[in-house]
Amino acid sequence: MPSAADPVYVVEDVSYTYLDRFPALTDVSLRVARSEKLALLGANGCGKSTLLKILDGLLVPDRGTVMAFGEAVTEDALEDEQFNHGFRSRIGFIFQNSDAQVFSPTVREEIAFGPLNLGMPTEQIVERVDDTLTMLDIADLADRAPYQLSGGEKKRVAIASVLAMNPEVLLFDEPTAALDPRTQQWLIELIVELNAAGKTIVLATHDLETIDVLADRCLVFGEDHRIAGEGTPHEILADRDLMLSVNLIHERTHLHHPHPPR
Amino acid sequence: MSATPDWMLHAEPSLCPCGCIGRRTTTSFVDKTITGASRVMRQALFTDDIAAKPGLLQRLDPRVKVVSVLGLVIAVAMVRNIPVLVGLYALSVVIAIASRIPAWYFAKRVWLFVPIFTGIVVLPATLSFITPGEIVVPLGTWFGHPVGVTSQGLRSAGLIILRVATSISFVVLVALTTTWTRLLAALRAMLLPRMFILVLGMAYRYVFQLLDSVTEMYEARKARTVRADADVRSGRAFVSATAGTIFGRAHSMSEEVHQAMVSRGYTGQARTMSAFRVRTTDVTWIAVCAMVIVIAIGIDRALGR
Repeated sequence: MPSAADPVYVVEDVSYTYLDRFPALTDVSLRVARSEKLALLGANGCGKSTLLKILDGLLVPDRGTVMAFGEAVTEDALEDEQFNHGFRSRIGFIFQNSDAQVFSPTVREEIAFGPLNLGMPTEQIVERVDDTLTMLDIADLADRAPYQLSGGEKKRVAIASVLAMNPEVLLFDEPTAALDPRTQQWLIELIVELNAAGKTIVLATHDLETIDVLADRCLVFGEDHRIAGEGTPHEILADRDLMLSVNLIHERTHLHHPHPPR
Repeated sequence: MSATPDWMLHAEPSLCPCGCIGRRTTTSFVDKTITGASRVMRQALFTDDIAAKPGLLQRLDPRVKVVSVLGLVIAVAMVRNIPVLVGLYALSVVIAIASRIPAWYFAKRVWLFVPIFTGIVVLPATLSFITPGEIVVPLGTWFGHPVGVTSQGLRSAGLIILRVATSISFVVLVALTTTWTRLLAALRAMLLPRMFILVLGMAYRYVFQLLDSVTEMYEARKARTVRADADVRSGRAFVSATAGTIFGRAHSMSEEVHQAMVSRGYTGQARTMSAFRVRTTDVTWIAVCAMVIVIAIGIDRALGR
């Protein structure tokens, strides 16, 4: 039986190269503890999204190992029905591009897609769809088609479609990107609430304004696709040299420093 | 930041002052494409609005609608008398009105295309070469034989046109009163392969996505077009470049969509939820349709050929 102290992920020396030519990750190692909020920070193109896709088993690293819940995540393992079912039901991935994630003809069908593929009974699916619609305040969108939704609404639907599966780990790729301030605030509060409910959160971002609320710990990626630093949001934001060296901030960027944790 | 080039520090001296000189440029293909794309969107929203109205057909289960229309279309194909067909066509108009479909729109959807496509096909059948009989419109002689439009030919052509128009009317009724998603779900419930329906549903969803991309690209070109697009060659180059870009975007989008599906447990099997319930209204409707079919075919057989 896994205990609460067991890490959710153990990643060792993972490297990934697109088309055998463009490196996206080089020798990356990390551990993700249960119920923590981990932020992957870095400039555009440093490999954050690739790492999230590797954590979700969508990409297979060229080198290195990924262990999730104590089991090795490999192409072979993911072909195993039981492993695949368990892995998919425990990990949810919210893509940066909601248009890619909201692919069903209606919102209701979109939210039902995950539970259906996990083989849940129909009554339970109907109940979950209704509950998630209410939770994310999108009940009035249930029968709408994706082309009738705004960017913020699509993001809510994408999140609802993952939450309906009730995963233990939530991977967010640039969650607050391209959202208006109101929706951003709503999403930040939702992520904090989900974490308080016991969900492990891993998010890729370069939004430094919200990082102190969204993360307990940060990993900073350099433009050489390696991990350049690690620490609490307070430590990372205070380390101006590190932020400058990974091109995450400009010399004239003013950072809002969070209060140190008591 | 790199230094701003000198030329950017001054306004362009060669630009014309604002004001009209009376010379107009004709609408280019860029404008037409942008208008065309928004027309498709408007059309989709308009049909969705009709499907949401509280009309007769909108109250029915989509499966019931599909089955009943299939029965009516088969009956139309079997009827050989024009008056019976006229009666069935009149029935479709009554149903359209009861379903709150604007009459002009309903008539336009059917009668704009039927005379063009079916009319051209059946035109030769009206001539005495194909359908011999009593010539009502003489067109001359051919090797001593009188040639013209025969009454038998006109009757056959009228029968075919009316048959096509009535069948299309019934199908249009279902298409207009059922949202695309419910129609797909109905087809799925009627044993059509789930994978086929899944692909069709996703294709429809992403058509709008691509339409957005095309509109954006054409708007970007319009924003940078000062003169009219008189140069056909550059226009052609732009269209092919747009097609290439759209193809590329569609490819990367499809890859990401597939990842999003796999991430939520998709393993290659299309699973869907159908939430249909057949109610008393549906049963009554089926009974009425069955009665109409029996009566129409009965009268047709009684009238003979």
